[in-house]
Amino acid sequence: MRYRERYFAFALAAPIAVAALAACDPERSQTARARSAQAPAVVPDPFAATESRARMPIESSEERPAAPVLVQHATVMTATGQRFEPGFVLMREGEIAAVGAGDGPGTPAGAVVVDARGKFVTPGIVDPHSHMGVAPVPESEGHDDVNELTDPITAGLRAEHSFWPEDAALERAVAGGVTTIGVLPGSGNLVGGRGVVIHMSPRAGARAMRFPGSPEILKMACGENPKRVYGELKRAPSTRMGNVRALREAFTRARKYAHDWEDWARRQQGRGLKGAGGKDAADKDEAKPPDRDLALETLALVMRGDILVEWHCYQADDMLAALEVAGEFGFKVRAFHHALEAYKIRDVLVAHGVGIATWDDWWGFKMEAYDGIPENLALMTEAGGRGAVHSDSPIAGQILNQAAGKALAAGRAAGVKIDENDALRWLTANPAWELGIDDQVGTLQAGKRADVVVWSEDPLSTYARAELVYVDGRLVFDRSHVGAPWSDFELGVRSMPVPRGGP
Amino acid sequence: VSRVLARAGALAALAAVVWGGRAQAEETPPIAITHALVYVPGGGPPIADATVVLAGGKVQAVGTSVATPPGAQIVDGRGKTVTAGFIDADTEVGVVEVDGEPGASDAATRGPLSPALRMVDGYDPRSAVIPVTRAGGVTSVVVAPRAGALAGQSAFVDLAGDTQAEAVVRPSLAQYARADEDEARQVGTRGALWMTLRQAFDDARFYAAHRAQYDSNASRPLGLRRIDLEALLPVLRGEQPLVMTVHRASDIETALRFADELKLRLVLAGASEAWLMRDEIAKAKVPVILDPLEDLPTQFDRLRSRSDSAALLAGAGVSVVLSTFSSHNARLLWQRAGNAVRLGMDHDAAIRAVTEAPADAFGLKGYGRLAAGAVANVVVWSGDPLQIGTRAEHVFVRGREQSLETRQTLLLNRYRTLPFTHDGSR
Repeated sequence: MRYRERYFAFALAAPIAVAALAACDPERSQTARARSAQAPAVVPDPFAATESRARMPIESSEERPAAPVLVQHATVMTATGQRFEPGFVLMREGEIAAVGAGDGPGTPAGAVVVDARGKFVTPGIVDPHSHMGVAPVPESEGHDDVNELTDPITAGLRAEHSFWPEDAALERAVAGGVTTIGVLPGSGNLVGGRGVVIHMSPRAGARAMRFPGSPEILKMACGENPKRVYGELKRAPSTRMGNVRALREAFTRARKYAHDWEDWARRQQGRGLKGAGGKDAADKDEAKPPDRDLALETLALVMRGDILVEWHCYQADDMLAALEVAGEFGFKVRAFHHALEAYKIRDVLVAHGVGIATWDDWWGFKMEAYDGIPENLALMTEAGGRGAVHSDSPIAGQILNQAAGKALAAGRAAGVKIDENDALRWLTANPAWELGIDDQVGTLQAGKRADVVVWSEDPLSTYARAELVYVDGRLVFDRSHVGAPWSDFELGVRSMPVPRGGP
Repeated sequence: VSRVLARAGALAALAAVVWGGRAQAEETPPIAITHALVYVPGGGPPIADATVVLAGGKVQAVGTSVATPPGAQIVDGRGKTVTAGFIDADTEVGVVEVDGEPGASDAATRGPLSPALRMVDGYDPRSAVIPVTRAGGVTSVVVAPRAGALAGQSAFVDLAGDTQAEAVVRPSLAQYARADEDEARQVGTRGALWMTLRQAFDDARFYAAHRAQYDSNASRPLGLRRIDLEALLPVLRGEQPLVMTVHRASDIETALRFADELKLRLVLAGASEAWLMRDEIAKAKVPVILDPLEDLPTQFDRLRSRSDSAALLAGAGVSVVLSTFSSHNARLLWQRAGNAVRLGMDHDAAIRAVTEAPADAFGLKGYGRLAAGAVANVVVWSGDPLQIGTRAEHVFVRGREQSLETRQTLLLNRYRTLPFTHDGSR
């Protein structure tokens, strides 16, 4: 029952911070209105009713609390700076009930006990930048749904409407310890559309897999990709200055759009005061709401702070230009993605409270990636900034733990004072923050969702394999018992299980 | 000095370059790496507390009772691991500076049939990618052509030296064919692709037997230019391997049959579904070059990809070569090998898969093995070469220690403290 509440009416259960960020969800409209009462109403909620229908999950969601699970005798890394050797994690009703040193507070009735001697336990990995489901494997024209390259501003799109749950990469990512992914539209457009945070369990569609209570996120892109795509079409933008102009124009329109709705809401308020009588022609015009525009609505919600901006930018100068645009229109950037030159302006990024989501050491595949260095994450962390490891690739998404290990090693070799906890946070707590779900996952703490990975050895080793992966306390991957594939597409094709590994 | 130009074609023979010349000939003081854990050829475990002596560009001696020559520069190998320099068997190092920039990328060829194309001619020994790759413990690479049913000839280079003449060891190492889904689409269908390949080799065989008629315009019409026909002759004679990129098990079956019919020296590359044909591949003694991280059914010709295919192939007796198939990520060859181990391959076998196995697949004598007389391409690692956190601390190419400074370390130093200034002042 708790799950149903979380899923269908999570405004009641979810903490305020997340609720406020996700105010465009109809279930949250109460909260949104409460906020609007204090701040000037930018976008009134009349379209909340339409949103409500757009947000309604139609899939039946059979959420059953799993039996309690007690993982014992492991090295437990909490991503809060604690390391219990040996330690335990107790999962109950989908949540972490307790975590600590020793064997734990006894075995609850009916609990599954996992003897994890010699093994390591961490929070599930959160990959903040994935295109799984929207650019699925096998690559096919039939499922190439990641970039809507028909207009540089496609803010009205939602990645969840491209998401193909049969993507064979999803299960492989889970086998790499990933429990949550931020699925984003591609970077061909300046504003690609809304992303969706997916909680990794096999289900029929994106809405059923959507991370309960996750806020709205928006994919934006600067630099080479949009100008190349539209330049080749002999359309704007074809230059970086064209990129920025198109963006400023879009936000300018969105600001007017927000004001139009605001005016309309005020007029409605006035009409309400006058009472129901006096319905003349002028009043009818007054009553007519502005035309709804999904793209401008999204941008207006960005300016209201209700949507988190996830901005694809490589170069330092592009990130600075992006921050200028954000400043002009009064919104915050949650995280720069890829951000290979973050190290050059880490002081600025830290001052603006912007996180980065990046690779460990990818570089050189295009001009804006030429200055990537392996110490990027370490330097950002040293400066007090938030860094996360992302994949952007279904291959890299299976070995994110190695990426964190490599970035840690590179930083240490350069004399940066960082430790395993920092590296673990690149995989869990920090990307969870970037996706606005850090109050629910990202650390092993009582009360958080029981997204837990048991590793064969230190997860920062090349040889580490995720052996058991739990999502909401349910075992979603067990390397010793790999059964039928998640993906319907792979039925009858994958003749052998996903790697068991080990000689 | 390697000179394999003799029969590589009339045009190539005109260029009487002494490849790999100067750097190798140059005198360097002997070097002794002492008390290290040393990987030696033969498949056994590494030798503890061993000494490796390098002199005159060669490995002089390897063993536990090797004396340090007088005047030798000593590298204390205590706690370190020593291997032959890693060899990445399929890369774009030195021909791709920036992949997305046509002006800085010379990897992809034009047209389906260009067997005369030589990657050596586009190789830039001053590429910023080279020091980065070397710092990852890779001392030699195969620079391979991309795209095209018959794509051209790879070069084998050592990652040292400022000129092509210094760096290049074998200007024409192998011929490349592609018989994967992408190439089949270019030509039309798989059948059309194999027909194209057969036609090309048939033309070359006819040309070899009727050179005089060809020169006097009395030959039947041939589909290839003379320069391309010439390029296929060493392949037909079995002197040069044909590296075929192929993924689907049934395509591998066709490739094995094709090579058997024409008596070619086949090497398989990519080979996502090779594990399904592992017994046949082992029987045909065909080496397989693969990337152990490519475990996804990314295309329809590799729906049965598996992450443990390296282990399965090695277990069946196939000679497995691990590669990054990359330019900028060739430096991560150690990680590819480490992942092969994670996914079930024997650790020592994974080391061999990036040292001995690539040398054997291409017949590169003196490479990939730490043994007396071998080319002194040697790496001293801070620990297990395949483990995260281990660094290549000393990299020797032909007996000379290489700088580990890269464009990336220069960037790091420039931005190590902020605010940045060009001259480092504050």
